[in-house]
Amino acid sequence: MDAAILILVVIASLLTVASGIWVATALVSAISTHQSKTGEQPPENKETGSVMR
Amino acid sequence: MASSVFVVVAYAIVLTFVAVRARAAREFVDFSLARRALPLALVFGSLCATYVGPGFSIGFVGKGFKSGFLFWGIGLAYSLQNILVGLLIAPRLRNLKDCCTLGDAIGQMYDRKCQILAGIISVSICTFLAAVMAHASGVVLNDIFGLDRFWSAVIVVGLTALYTTFGGLRASVITDAFQFTAFALLLPVTLLLALSFHLDGGGAHFISEASAATTQGFNSTSTVKIVGLLAAFFLGETLIPPYANRALASRTTGVSRNSFILAGAFSIVWFMVMISLGVVARNIVPKTTEEDKVLLKLVESIMPSEGYMLLLVVLVSIVMSSLDSLLNAGAVALTEDVVKPFVKLGNGGALNVGRWATIAIAAVAVACSPAVPSIISGLLICYTIWASAILPALIIGLWSKHPRPLAGTLSMIAGTLVAVVAIICLFFFPSVIEDRIEVIIIPGLGAAVLAYALGYRLQRTKPGG
Repeated sequence: MDAAILILVVIASLLTVASGIWVATALVSAISTHQSKTGEQPPENKETGSVMR
Repeated sequence: MASSVFVVVAYAIVLTFVAVRARAAREFVDFSLARRALPLALVFGSLCATYVGPGFSIGFVGKGFKSGFLFWGIGLAYSLQNILVGLLIAPRLRNLKDCCTLGDAIGQMYDRKCQILAGIISVSICTFLAAVMAHASGVVLNDIFGLDRFWSAVIVVGLTALYTTFGGLRASVITDAFQFTAFALLLPVTLLLALSFHLDGGGAHFISEASAATTQGFNSTSTVKIVGLLAAFFLGETLIPPYANRALASRTTGVSRNSFILAGAFSIVWFMVMISLGVVARNIVPKTTEEDKVLLKLVESIMPSEGYMLLLVVLVSIVMSSLDSLLNAGAVALTEDVVKPFVKLGNGGALNVGRWATIAIAAVAVACSPAVPSIISGLLICYTIWASAILPALIIGLWSKHPRPLAGTLSMIAGTLVAVVAIICLFFFPSVIEDRIEVIIIPGLGAAVLAYALGYRLQRTKPGG
């Protein structure tokens, strides 16, 4: 039981770090990608919520 | 010392670079919704950075130190709320057409009067919450550098207002992502370091400290207080304007839904890390340490000076990431819900109003910051008013086939009045504020729901109602 709690705490720490890395990757991609000058976005497909390209 | 200064300067340069790369908003749709183009990871990071303020970091470590895992259990109510918002509300909000704010959504469901009322409540809550953040930044900078609290608040709010005024929501989200990355990497690493190298007695000692602190927490907290805290965590922060803006600005309805679900799941692990840091600190810092100083003392004890300085800067970032979201959400609500219904504004005019509104809200927040009683009390006061004033009208409106404007108006007025009057009454008896403030949310919500039912019935019986 004691070991299980400690393992959970360590897993929680690692998941937090993983979330940080995921967001950092998206951030680097966002600031290195230049949007078009109009910045127009493709329309959204209402059925699926996906973006039509 | 030189290397510590280097760490602070390097962090500030990287943050400025990130803010500049976000670029200035050219139109109001940039400023308010970042063109509804935000991807999942950025919305998720921004949501987490917004809710992880001083309360969910410094405050939770202090709670772990005094009450063990009791507050992790209470925090789960907040996690559940986020997941439910993701499943039930965020996709519905995102599906509304031509909607920039929560006031817009309420206006579409009820009428223009309800939109203006919701807008005034949104702007007020964002301003008060920004004042709490300004107060928190004053406390942190005062603790770290010994600067005067008011001038510390001026510096932090001024810097935050600068990039939010020019970059709008996109700058807020991009800088939030950077700040999220910094604290999501540093604080768990601090915990792992403490568990690995600074815990005399190893894991068994951690468990015995956790058990002792949790028992102590249950013994010193009444059942009524626990119920009040659960209600406050479950409802208080639900869809406050910055969260609603992120739901509306998501690229698709799927992104809107998933970002809230993931943010809720993240809060479960985040609270565990914060509470564990508090439990670990019981073995490292003196038992008499004040709750709000536990994290600072712990980091000072176990990290090298450069790491300590970096973490202090990250703590200021935690405040800034919540503050920029509030400034932007308040400015957008003022422009869209309060000014636009009375004045015809073009795209450029709306953008200018939004920018000036950001500066005005920042100035009022700084001016009000000395009046904030404490970080936690200030947050609870704002959450109580918000939940009572807006949630019943918003949630019932989103799910009802025929929402009635009179019901929405009465609910918002009654909820606001009951919450404000109850809070004013508590201020006449300051000794009971800390113990009772979280319970006010219950009568406030009750009044709002009853007023909604009354308005619904009255309008149904009116001819044409």
